[in-house]
Amino acid sequence: MSALAEIQPYIEAFKARAQAGEPDWLWHRREGAMQRFAELGFPTRKQEAWRFTDLRPLQRVAFPPAIAVAQATTDDIALWRFKGETYRIVLVDGAFVPALSAIDDLPTGAWLASTAQTLREWPELLDPAVRETDTVGAQPFAALNAALFTDGFVLALQPGVALDRTIEVIHLGRAANRSSQLRNVILLGPNSRATVIESYAGTGAYWTNAVGVIGVGAGAALRHVKLQDEDTAAIHLGQHRVDLGCNARYESFTLSLGGRLARNETHLKLDGEGAACGLFGATLLRGEQEGTIATVVDHAAPGCTTREYFKSVADDRAHGVFLGTIGVRPQAQKTDANQLSKNLLLSRRAAVDTKPELEILADDVKCSHGATVGDLDETALFYLESRGITVAEARRILIEAFAAEVIERLEDDADLRAHLGRHVARWLAAGDSR
Amino acid sequence: MTDTAAVANLKALREGYKYGFVSDIESESAPPGLNEDTVRFIAAKKHEPEWLLAWRLESFRKWQTMATPHWAKLRIAPIDYQAATYYSAPKRQNAPTSLDEVDPELLKTYAKLGIPLNERAALAGVAVDAVFDSVSVATTFKKTLAGLGIVFCSFGEAVREHPELVRKYLGTVVPQGDNFFAALNSAVFSDGSFAYIPPGVRCPMELSTYFRINAAKSGQFERTLLVADKGSYVSYLEGCTAPQRDENQLHAAVVELVALENAEIKYSTVQNWYPGDAEGKGGIYNFVTKRGACRGARAKISWTQVETGSAITWKYPSCILEGDHSVGEFYSVAITNNYQQADTGTKMLHLGRNTRSTIISKGISAGKGQNTYRGLVRIQPKAENARNYTQCDSLLIGDKCGAHTVPYISARNPTARVEHEATTSKISDEQMFYCQQRGLSKEDALSLIVNGFCKEVLKELPMEFAVEAQKLLAVSLEGSVG
Repeated sequence: MSALAEIQPYIEAFKARAQAGEPDWLWHRREGAMQRFAELGFPTRKQEAWRFTDLRPLQRVAFPPAIAVAQATTDDIALWRFKGETYRIVLVDGAFVPALSAIDDLPTGAWLASTAQTLREWPELLDPAVRETDTVGAQPFAALNAALFTDGFVLALQPGVALDRTIEVIHLGRAANRSSQLRNVILLGPNSRATVIESYAGTGAYWTNAVGVIGVGAGAALRHVKLQDEDTAAIHLGQHRVDLGCNARYESFTLSLGGRLARNETHLKLDGEGAACGLFGATLLRGEQEGTIATVVDHAAPGCTTREYFKSVADDRAHGVFLGTIGVRPQAQKTDANQLSKNLLLSRRAAVDTKPELEILADDVKCSHGATVGDLDETALFYLESRGITVAEARRILIEAFAAEVIERLEDDADLRAHLGRHVARWLAAGDSR
Repeated sequence: MTDTAAVANLKALREGYKYGFVSDIESESAPPGLNEDTVRFIAAKKHEPEWLLAWRLESFRKWQTMATPHWAKLRIAPIDYQAATYYSAPKRQNAPTSLDEVDPELLKTYAKLGIPLNERAALAGVAVDAVFDSVSVATTFKKTLAGLGIVFCSFGEAVREHPELVRKYLGTVVPQGDNFFAALNSAVFSDGSFAYIPPGVRCPMELSTYFRINAAKSGQFERTLLVADKGSYVSYLEGCTAPQRDENQLHAAVVELVALENAEIKYSTVQNWYPGDAEGKGGIYNFVTKRGACRGARAKISWTQVETGSAITWKYPSCILEGDHSVGEFYSVAITNNYQQADTGTKMLHLGRNTRSTIISKGISAGKGQNTYRGLVRIQPKAENARNYTQCDSLLIGDKCGAHTVPYISARNPTARVEHEATTSKISDEQMFYCQQRGLSKEDALSLIVNGFCKEVLKELPMEFAVEAQKLLAVSLEGSVG
């Protein structure tokens, strides 16, 4: 498809859209974002941030926004449910499903609702989340999302509110050759705290384009887990934009298992003194999958800390990509940042590209990064085999251990570690049964 | 050298740019501007054969279709390629047979530079193919080398006397259209050095060339080609100084190395061209393409560079590891002070089985300098058991400079092992305090610490260079503390 033909279906979809009671300011921003997307078009490999990404699956066919709401049952979401009582939001094809959700009895000072509902009842909450940032910068998919988003979830906590339960958000993609444009918002007031688990799954060849806008206020803490478990025929593009205030804490874990083409991007700004972030994740790839983790961490305030640790496993013909940038601005003295990318290459036709990048403009800093690529440790394999374990089983154990090492970073939450561990085991088992 | 001696030396060197002078030599220059006629003019001036002119013209046509690269983290004022002069040669160049015939002005210049020509050459045990502006004027030790079958001469001479060798290897490592600056060089290269080491010969001395940029507004486009035939060894030194100038001078060199089976090339550079003044005015633009190919099994190419000069450095000495068991090494110290910018690093392309590469890069930023390490390690599918180790450390002195690290790692073979480590930090107050408390001045303490930081790289340099390099580090960092 030509560049124009590629974007045309999305422009048409936008034209067909009604303002549908949305406030004028939002409508104007949507128009601006659409215009921006039309100008930018799809990224090309000539753009540094996209040089390793093969976007052809997204370019060959159009994915206009899904319309019909498919039915879903509790069984459909069972696999991704987090143990114990949670506040829950379930979305199917970009639309909220109240029947499967559980957002009653929230404590006072907490707002958790679908994006559509929030727009009806409290549109101002969306104001910081749909900003001109969508219309500037070379982020065509964020711009497209701003123009077309249908739903998502919004979590807002008043200062000092600490949620007693984990929030889980499950999105299922169902409609073939359709896209779900999700806009999610998490705003934590000063000294509040929450844990959010986002899970993305589904069946078929759909496209999920999710943008999450996250603000963590002074002294607040957010633990944010993302499980990307889309169908291996599906496309997943996810972007988190995170802003941290003074002494705020943000810890994320991205477990990426599905999608033929999956990209998880985090743009994080440490905007207040003493803020800290931990970005962790594991990407497991096989078949023809391509999985990218991209992080851009911007140290804009002094005395902030960054810990980044990402692992990837690429088997068969899969392609794993890590693009990590840590920038330290001149005023961000006493920055302490490190970044680590470890990659397992399991097959002759698999590929790994990793680019850990530091851009440092302050002098009183401690920054480091590292990257490794290699196969499983032969000595470890031999050790296991010498104990009577088959090669296949030994490899499985070592891969599981490889992923577990980064999951261990979620030190104080055994349930969460177990939850992620189960999904890793399931991914490995799926490989055995092939 | 003992530390005290080192410190004394550093003191001696703290007098601004030592090599900032312009020698007064009439040069015969091409009219400014660049078109096919310029290319023909250069070829005609140098009495080049038809095939080389054709090669130049082909390069020129490729260059015309190319655009200046912008991916590097550099701020480069637009360069008017039509305003520069592409050829300048000292006027009296009727092939001097002895030093007496060489222009005395030129000899004085060398004396100021401290080039060991004449008997000083013998003392230092260095064969010098001195490139002054564009044309080689004197070559020493030629006979000793010739006795071993080693060819070491200016590029122009090699074209005349060993056309078959030049033709066989020219452009095979850095193709004409490789990049913008390489294409430009291929079209208008003036002169440079050529060396060929025959099979099984171990070159008994360090080969050395001094490059100087002299005539105003003349970009210098050296072309160096080194071929180490099977089982041979050569160590090549390249050192650069340039007179002080207010105008930016473009320098786009190409260096090609070919190491055949079991051969080893060690290529060392100390680059201290005029970096511009403290306000960032003037200075050399150093846009260099350096690449070596390990063409046979167990070949080895080792790059060592100390980059202290130039206003802008754009340079990525690389290794193509084609032969099985071949080895590539890159050791680098890059310093940026005042308004200097450096975007430098290496590429290690692993094609053959059991290929190994090591990258050690030390970047030092002071003043308002910007220093970027940019590197690529690529393991191709057939590179069984390839191994890479990369370490890049950055040191920041002052809060107005920047240090950036941009490594690319692409692995296509599971048996490969690639490791990359990088750190960025400043000189700790404890280290400074310790040294000062032992009676060293602030600047001496800094030199000492910086020299320690760079030790892993400096120890790879041949002896004579190591001394000069240590002095240079001190000069380059002058005024960055206190």
